[in-house]
Amino acid sequence: MKVRNLIAGGLLLCAGSALAEEAPIEGTVEAKCVITTETTGVYGNPVPYKLSTAAADGGVLPIIRYDVISADYYKASISHPEEFTSSPDLDDSVTWTGETEVHEVSDVAMASYETDKVEYNNVTDFDLTVAGSTWFKVSSVAEYGYQKSFPAGSYNAVVNAECIAL
Amino acid sequence: MAHQFTPAYPKLVPSYVREVWKADMNLLNMRQDVEYFEFGVFDKDWEGIPFALSGNRIVRIKYLERKDINVFIKREDVDRVKYICSKSKIVAGQTKQITSISSRICSKVQ
Repeated sequence: MKVRNLIAGGLLLCAGSALAEEAPIEGTVEAKCVITTETTGVYGNPVPYKLSTAAADGGVLPIIRYDVISADYYKASISHPEEFTSSPDLDDSVTWTGETEVHEVSDVAMASYETDKVEYNNVTDFDLTVAGSTWFKVSSVAEYGYQKSFPAGSYNAVVNAECIAL
Repeated sequence: MAHQFTPAYPKLVPSYVREVWKADMNLLNMRQDVEYFEFGVFDKDWEGIPFALSGNRIVRIKYLERKDINVFIKREDVDRVKYICSKSKIVAGQTKQITSISSRICSKVQ
């Protein structure tokens, strides 16, 4: 009987010590930039000679989210398309226009991003001076020749979203 | 649908090969639409600098995979290195969407 009690006590002790075991979870937060594709864009074709991502033209604006952990570490540089990456054969010129704008912000201090942005060629730069998330929307319009109909087929273009450490 | 490349400010340190230095980078692919990433090393004027990786310059990193990337640079070029970049590669015909997004993240060497 004594032996049985001792074994039972020993088992209880073992169980007790097992319950006290710790399973550590480690993690570090470091300065980083994460680029997330929230919405891939789609060209609408409101008139035969025009492809546009504007909602009014039946398109969908691409939306890109930038998450930065620390303020003043990165700048966002976004380029709207200036050529198709794939399309049917085109024998006339295509005129490209586009714009990148702040769509949403996670912090009111980011309100100045839109006014402080720098535009050159097809590129728009934003200094990410506040930690948090910023959503950018990119509009893109392609017009073919002088109101010439785009040939039927599939058209692909690429928006380049860059995050560069300062 | 995200792309993460760290650290933001890597340091170049001597590697196990004489006269070759290296930077230890890490890429996390959370983009379902991308499986390949290209790496580049640049000076302050964005001129390319020769470098080597443990494998190819275009690396396959599957969705939700995290990969350590060792970037090797010749000792003579170390002082010129300013940026180490990773860029998502969109495979032709891989996607049916008609505007794709290419992401590129550049870390600045200290």
